[in-house]
Amino acid sequence: MTIDELEQLLVQQPVAVLHRLARGRVHRHFRAGKRRLIEMILQHSSQNLAGLESDVQALIAERQSQPQPPQPPARPAGRTAVAPPRRTAPRGGEPETAEAAVSLTTWLEGIGVPAPQPFVPDPWQNEALAALDETDVVVSVPTGSGKTYVAVEAAKRAIAHNQTVIYTSPLKALSNTKYTEFSKIFGPDKVGILTGDRQENGQAPLLIMTTEILRNLLYDAASGEIDIRLDTLGLVILDESQYIADPERGVVWEETIIFCPSQAKLLLLSASIGNPQDIADWLTSIRPTTCRLVRHSKRTVPLRAGYLHPNGKLVPLFKTAAIPSGHAGHLHPEAKRLFFEYEEETLPSGRPRR
Amino acid sequence: MPPSIHPVDLIASLRQKHLTPAIVFLTSRRACDEAMQSFDHADIVLPPVRQDAIAAALERVITQYPSVAEHPLIPTVQRIGVAAHHAGHLPSWKIAIEELMRQGCLDAVFATTTLAAGVDFPARTVIITQSSIRKSRDFTDLTIGEVQQIAGRAGRRGKDQVGFAVITPSPYIDLGVLTKGFTGHPESIDSQFSISYPMVLNLLKAHPHEQIQAILAKSFAQFQLNQRAELLERKLDGLHVQMEPFGPRVCTDWISQWQTFDQVRRQRPQRHQIRKHESPELSARFHFMTPGRVVGLARGRGIVLRQYRSKGQKNPMISVLRLDGAVTECPASNVGDIFDRIFECDETPAFPWCSAAAFDELSYQLTELPTRLPTLPIMVPKDSEVLPDAIVQSLGDFPCPSCPSRPACQKDFATALRLRQEQHRHTKSIQALRASLWHRFQERVEVLQKFGYLSPSAHLTDEGEWARLIRIDHSLLITEMIRAEAFTGADPSLLTGVMASITHDDDRPGSFPRISPGLSSLLGQVRKLAESLSPYEEPPLLRADVAALAERWIADPTLTWIGLCRLTTMAEGDIYRLLARTLEFLSQIHTLRATHPGLADTASRAITLIRRGVLEELP
Ligand SMILES: Nc1ncnc2c1ncn2[C@@H]1O[C@H](COP(=O)(O)OP(=O)(O)O)[C@@H](O)[C@H]1O
Ligand SMILES: [Mg+2]
Repeated sequence: MTIDELEQLLVQQPVAVLHRLARGRVHRHFRAGKRRLIEMILQHSSQNLAGLESDVQALIAERQSQPQPPQPPARPAGRTAVAPPRRTAPRGGEPETAEAAVSLTTWLEGIGVPAPQPFVPDPWQNEALAALDETDVVVSVPTGSGKTYVAVEAAKRAIAHNQTVIYTSPLKALSNTKYTEFSKIFGPDKVGILTGDRQENGQAPLLIMTTEILRNLLYDAASGEIDIRLDTLGLVILDESQYIADPERGVVWEETIIFCPSQAKLLLLSASIGNPQDIADWLTSIRPTTCRLVRHSKRTVPLRAGYLHPNGKLVPLFKTAAIPSGHAGHLHPEAKRLFFEYEEETLPSGRPRR
Repeated sequence: MPPSIHPVDLIASLRQKHLTPAIVFLTSRRACDEAMQSFDHADIVLPPVRQDAIAAALERVITQYPSVAEHPLIPTVQRIGVAAHHAGHLPSWKIAIEELMRQGCLDAVFATTTLAAGVDFPARTVIITQSSIRKSRDFTDLTIGEVQQIAGRAGRRGKDQVGFAVITPSPYIDLGVLTKGFTGHPESIDSQFSISYPMVLNLLKAHPHEQIQAILAKSFAQFQLNQRAELLERKLDGLHVQMEPFGPRVCTDWISQWQTFDQVRRQRPQRHQIRKHESPELSARFHFMTPGRVVGLARGRGIVLRQYRSKGQKNPMISVLRLDGAVTECPASNVGDIFDRIFECDETPAFPWCSAAAFDELSYQLTELPTRLPTLPIMVPKDSEVLPDAIVQSLGDFPCPSCPSRPACQKDFATALRLRQEQHRHTKSIQALRASLWHRFQERVEVLQKFGYLSPSAHLTDEGEWARLIRIDHSLLITEMIRAEAFTGADPSLLTGVMASITHDDDRPGSFPRISPGLSSLLGQVRKLAESLSPYEEPPLLRADVAALAERWIADPTLTWIGLCRLTTMAEGDIYRLLARTLEFLSQIHTLRATHPGLADTASRAITLIRRGVLEELP
């Protein structure tokens, strides 16, 4: 989609949708009118139009999947007033609220294993890899989207160029899991792991460690005590980099990024966060090249939310099968009723309900 | 009705709806363990084929991690296809369970939410039973990001067409937090940059002092501080424009002139009566409680809508917008935290003190604030400014009463003063934002100079040269102990005991083995030192019981892992983590080979002794 087509699409959207797109992308979007809002959204996403496009499509799809009051047929003005359009007529005298809500059967529909499909990388994965040829990349996508594929593919390319790759995770346990996983993919001689007191395969081209260990290596290198091949370092992958906001350890991610050698590319993999653009802008301001942000917020495997009552009754949590983004209040009447009942029974009397 | 669903019913019901495999997030390890126990006599056993598959998969893991073989949960795991996975378990056990989940052998795993990132395996369904999480001491509501991280484990790519996140209530649940988490946008994240002693030493090792400010400026912290400074600069530009009509008049600085004149006029009769009880702290803090400012009160946060002084006592007061949308009046002295966050606030002279649009937006902003916010550094002036008597006496000297500009000054004064004060406030805030990291760095430099790690010219001394290699928490305590030669003659078990007590930051009680007299007296020394360092570094807990446990593992090389676990009520996962962290600390001490060969050797021997049995299984 070209930028003009995208703009056309945005113009057709209600302002509420635009505001939701603007969240996390545009600062203080609440003050802007529709025109200005579109302008700002496009401007702030100029680096990542594909991400914007996928978010718009997701929002449109979501709105369409919501039960909408039937549109009044186009009629000459003045006649519509005779019979104001109502929601779909209640069937069998059921209460109106229950009517609009999804049934459990519909909510459970589609459960199961999909037919096996050949592996085709997602557009955002390709986009991140292509960008990484040129510059640093920040990826912010929902959990379970496939960030590891980007890490593995990027590492393969760097290793093919005889570069050293460092992959960090926030926890030793995760490092161990990745060590096993990557050893299977790359072959055991290609992968090493470093901890405070141990090195396994320290000469391998792909090295796994916690972010603290890398920070220490970089400090040693800065003071001239290189004991790892930092001169051939071509790529540094920081997985779970939303940890930069961790109260105790976040500072280690900042130190690592500040001291990362400029010849090495940085690949930051993060779960969905509110302000990935800030992270990308920050990298742009301190690193040799303009950092690319690859983001989207649509889950690959659709997620549905349910409510299970202690008596074993399962009901959808929201009125719609899909999670109604931005509408925390659109609860399924049945879930609402059951939870209310639960609170009535379990709350010690006198405790205020929040 | 039971307060929450019975685990056996839960699993039966998930199976019946084809919602397995599932991860069931529970509030505590204990809840996970109890859930597992409740399957002891359950009859929802797996068909033999699946039991065999689990046994075979476990067999494969055990060849790599022998410690898994002895786990007491194995019978339940095989019979029912459910397992527990939390921080009380050994890493090898957690790896085994993750492997079983990956191979699709299990129907459910009971896990804790303490580290959503620690559970890095997906399932078809995620069961959520809580809306808050224990962070250090108390429970805080899950953030939107955290809810999505947890719910995000539902729905495996390639194995599920749809994923399900199911809430089942427990007495700890607030449905609103979860529905907001499902439907909301993840919060923006904020830098948590902090400057530690090792950071200062390592920066100064590699770079001259005058380059450090430029390096700190590269932090995400400074990037975000700049963003806020720029916002204020734009406001400052606006204020300049508004100030234009109030330029120089008969006197160049007519605002100050009029202010003094006016103040003197008013103060003369009732001098020293107002505000006499007000502390300079309160005045300084009150200065920042301006409309739009986020403040922390006893019952949660609020945004200041106006500041004023009470009618009779002239106490500093503020009107605050609260989370529930209410506007409350509150004495400024009740404000706990003044956060480094201010929103635009379109002020109006009457209740609710800002325009309807601003009110809506502020209410919204208040709900969207991140859980952690930096507080504003506030400097308290040495003495509050009371006009010297000399000026008061000299009222007759003011030109104002007969000045031609008097009516204009009188009319404009209030507006002009307010604008100018705002300018000052913004200018000060901008300076603070731009320079705060550097100030924090300088503070650390001064401490390191005081202790002799840095020379007066901020170069590393001989002590600084080796101290910079200790890059862990409580580094100052550790390096000071080394300098005090506290470890001279200490054997590996004593060193390990001390290091273990420094690493351990959990105050949960338990029963532990007896401590040796040697370690006990050494710990007494460490405690004294830590106490004396407390103005510069938060002292660690230094628990003797925990130290004794680590000491035992080293002192008695024939002690088996199971034997060690029997000596204490601590969970084996915690013992493992204690020893693993101690190992990390010891390996840092080992890096001091060049300057402290004896100590480094002791550390190295301790490392070898720790690394046995279970502690050898993983790198
Ligand atoms: N393009 C793709 N097509 C199909 N499956 C994919 C694709 N990319 C990744 N996956 C699968 O998605 C799953 C989740 O990937 P992972 O990298 O663990 O996610 P996360 O983004 O949370 O790190 C893995 O099983 C992976 O094989
Ligand atoms: Mg991942």
